[in-house]
Amino acid sequence: MRIRGIIYQQICQLRWHLLACLGLIMALPIEEAAVSFKEGDGFYSSGMIIVSLMFAPLLTGLIACANVQGDFEEKRYIFWRSKPVNVKLFITLKFLTGLVASLIIIACPVIFGLVLGIFYQDYIEYETIQFFMPFPVLIAILMYSLCFGCNVLVRRTARAWLIGMLLGAFILVIPFILPLNYKDFVSDIMFGPWGYYPAIMLAASAAVFVFALYAAQRDWHLRTNLKGLLWAGTGLVFILMMLFNSQVANIKVLQEKEIDSNWRGRIDMDYAGDKVIFQGRRYVNINDNKISFSDIDGNTNSIEAPLTRMKGYRTDTYPRDGRLYKKTKSNLYSLAIDEYYRKEDKKNIYEKVYLRSNMPTGESWKQVDELDISDCLEDSTYPSIAMRLIGNTIIAFVDKSILIIDITDTGKLKLIGKKLNVFGYYHTRRKEFTIPLVPVEEIDIKERIKLSIDWNYDAYNMCKASIVDIHDDSISFFLVSDKDIARFNITGWDEENIYCKFVTSRPFTILECLTGSVYFNRAFVKSGKLYCYERNTLMVFDIRSDRGIRKLGHFVRMDYEIDDIAVLENGNILLSMYWSYNLRKNHNNNFKRYLCLLENPK
Amino acid sequence: MFRMILWKEWKENLWKLLFCGAASAVFIIMLFRMRIIPDFSNCILISFIQMFVVPIVYSLDIFSGEVSNRTIHLLFKIPVQRWMIFFAKYLVSAIGIVLVFIISAILMELMTLGREAPILFLLKTNLLYGLVGLLLFTWFCVFGCQSRSEAGSLVIMASVFIGWGIVLLWSSVCNVTWAERFVPYSLILLGKNNLGLAGIIFLQMLASIAVLVVACYRYASIRRYL
Repeated sequence: MRIRGIIYQQICQLRWHLLACLGLIMALPIEEAAVSFKEGDGFYSSGMIIVSLMFAPLLTGLIACANVQGDFEEKRYIFWRSKPVNVKLFITLKFLTGLVASLIIIACPVIFGLVLGIFYQDYIEYETIQFFMPFPVLIAILMYSLCFGCNVLVRRTARAWLIGMLLGAFILVIPFILPLNYKDFVSDIMFGPWGYYPAIMLAASAAVFVFALYAAQRDWHLRTNLKGLLWAGTGLVFILMMLFNSQVANIKVLQEKEIDSNWRGRIDMDYAGDKVIFQGRRYVNINDNKISFSDIDGNTNSIEAPLTRMKGYRTDTYPRDGRLYKKTKSNLYSLAIDEYYRKEDKKNIYEKVYLRSNMPTGESWKQVDELDISDCLEDSTYPSIAMRLIGNTIIAFVDKSILIIDITDTGKLKLIGKKLNVFGYYHTRRKEFTIPLVPVEEIDIKERIKLSIDWNYDAYNMCKASIVDIHDDSISFFLVSDKDIARFNITGWDEENIYCKFVTSRPFTILECLTGSVYFNRAFVKSGKLYCYERNTLMVFDIRSDRGIRKLGHFVRMDYEIDDIAVLENGNILLSMYWSYNLRKNHNNNFKRYLCLLENPK
Repeated sequence: MFRMILWKEWKENLWKLLFCGAASAVFIIMLFRMRIIPDFSNCILISFIQMFVVPIVYSLDIFSGEVSNRTIHLLFKIPVQRWMIFFAKYLVSAIGIVLVFIISAILMELMTLGREAPILFLLKTNLLYGLVGLLLFTWFCVFGCQSRSEAGSLVIMASVFIGWGIVLLWSSVCNVTWAERFVPYSLILLGKNNLGLAGIIFLQMLASIAVLVVACYRYASIRRYL
């Protein structure tokens, strides 16, 4: 048998299908290029290449079916089987010719985009090529094989295509059913190392090919108009589904408690040692996964620490939401930086700043001590203020100054050191860069690094959370944007600078962003996990996994709004949220507040 | 006689309803139990795939089947107007497509009741995708009513999908609002543009009626059928 002749015959036989598929796959990139050109941006295509690649598995399936049908159509089949043909060689060549032709067609939009990108300096991002392209190609190979095998059995183009697609979809879902600990589509599959998932796809392709060889040689085919196969397949799918299927990625709710609260503003949860304070009023106690409250000082009328007003001034406070708490053996102290400003020509002029400590005394909070730190104010219109409590030491940032303050067991504030004009914001992302190291020798170097990074990137939340993960000897931090979660490693440090390097990123997929916000404004790291939440969605990621930044679970309530979350010592999560139907009607039935206890996502 | 034709078509295409319904149910149960992604995202994913696959299943042999099975000459000899035959085929397919989406929408709603999405939200979303699927199938009828093979029908259906994608891309990039209103996909992109749902549905219905008339004419004017 002449191999070249067979290949030539196969290509001739497939030419119209190949041209049709080429036209379909190239339609959107060419149109994008044309539209861009018309808009004056240049004749190039980038976004539609990925969309075209998404259609590639459907088209390769079509090519496979047409390929088989070309020689398995009744009359043709009788013709070539009556000749001295090596069936296995013929089918192998047929399979490979179609597969190579399909891959060439898939490559066309990519080559189109790359070549035009070179001419018009609109390069396709390396991440796009690395992450988004291999996956559709693998699926395309799987679909090609499945459709090929199905058509050998079924011998009716469109129906074989349909069954092939159905089987392919099922094979794609199977890894999530098997005990492979797959939870995250992005890190486990799309960006994951070459592991089980591609192996399953390639093994399934190879198995179907071998099956097709034997089926063709022994002339196995169905004459029953598919009904038996369809029902047997569907039944099998049902049985498998019922046997193995279980929840994998949503965070389980252990208890959901409705809170009797008319307060329409944001409710925060703050940490006081190992306890969580709800709305600055009550401790949250968890026993046997049940939520209960207890009052801070044993008095039922305790209220949150109030702002201290000053005549002629308006008041702001840090933390804006919630408070910073210091728990001693006998007492609880609330810490806040109060800022006082006047309105002048529609501008806020900040003039006084105080650090205050308060303690609960029966029905109210009483001021214990205050420290005037107004001399640190530099930008009177928009001061940058933050603080963190490390042991008994408060590190407070006011514009470019740093204050080191000791808080005693009686709640007294004692200024240890003040460093003026030594520090400033430093925002850089990607590549290698340096961040100035906070010049506070009183604390451990790792805490200093943590403090420096949080002050630069997350000053707003740094009083109770951090974006830095310290694990063994490695230090890394995480920035969440609307596109991805970026990981930066600390490569070293000296007396003045911390040296950072961008390592990897984990993009958010369209499906993850459909339910709520596309920008996770609030994110922090605790015990090797990254918690991101905004509006109605909470997502938890494992940041110490060998599979990269890996999603462990999500919690979504579409018509709710998440106020705040607190992570407990055992990894369980307390989540405060509210539901409102129509706030304008101002009716209590339209507003409900809940506190949820969520299981630690592992 | 029309009722007999209708019954014949219903019996012939019942497997499609059962197949699509069963496959949809399997994947809905599986994905909504696994919950790899949030419920609403699962709903969009399944609805999106259904929007393309269900019309494809119905378009495969609804017209071309009569040619490939060599029954078209018998069908045309029945004393019924050809437009009635066409309408019976279209009606059965449309009912089938709608039923598949109703089944899956109810299943989705039942599986996710009180879980993540507001009540009836997933049901409405899935049905909206179903409506788009039906509109795409209607557009297929114009070009696919004279199709002679299943593969040809498949290619025509794929061309309708991509063709409307091209129109959508062009109209949204070049801000051609009037064209955007005729694109079936615009029904599911209502959040991104300011066109009213009622207005778009009205326009789409008008377009669909016109399309059906043309398709009917084309089907009635088939001369060489074997």
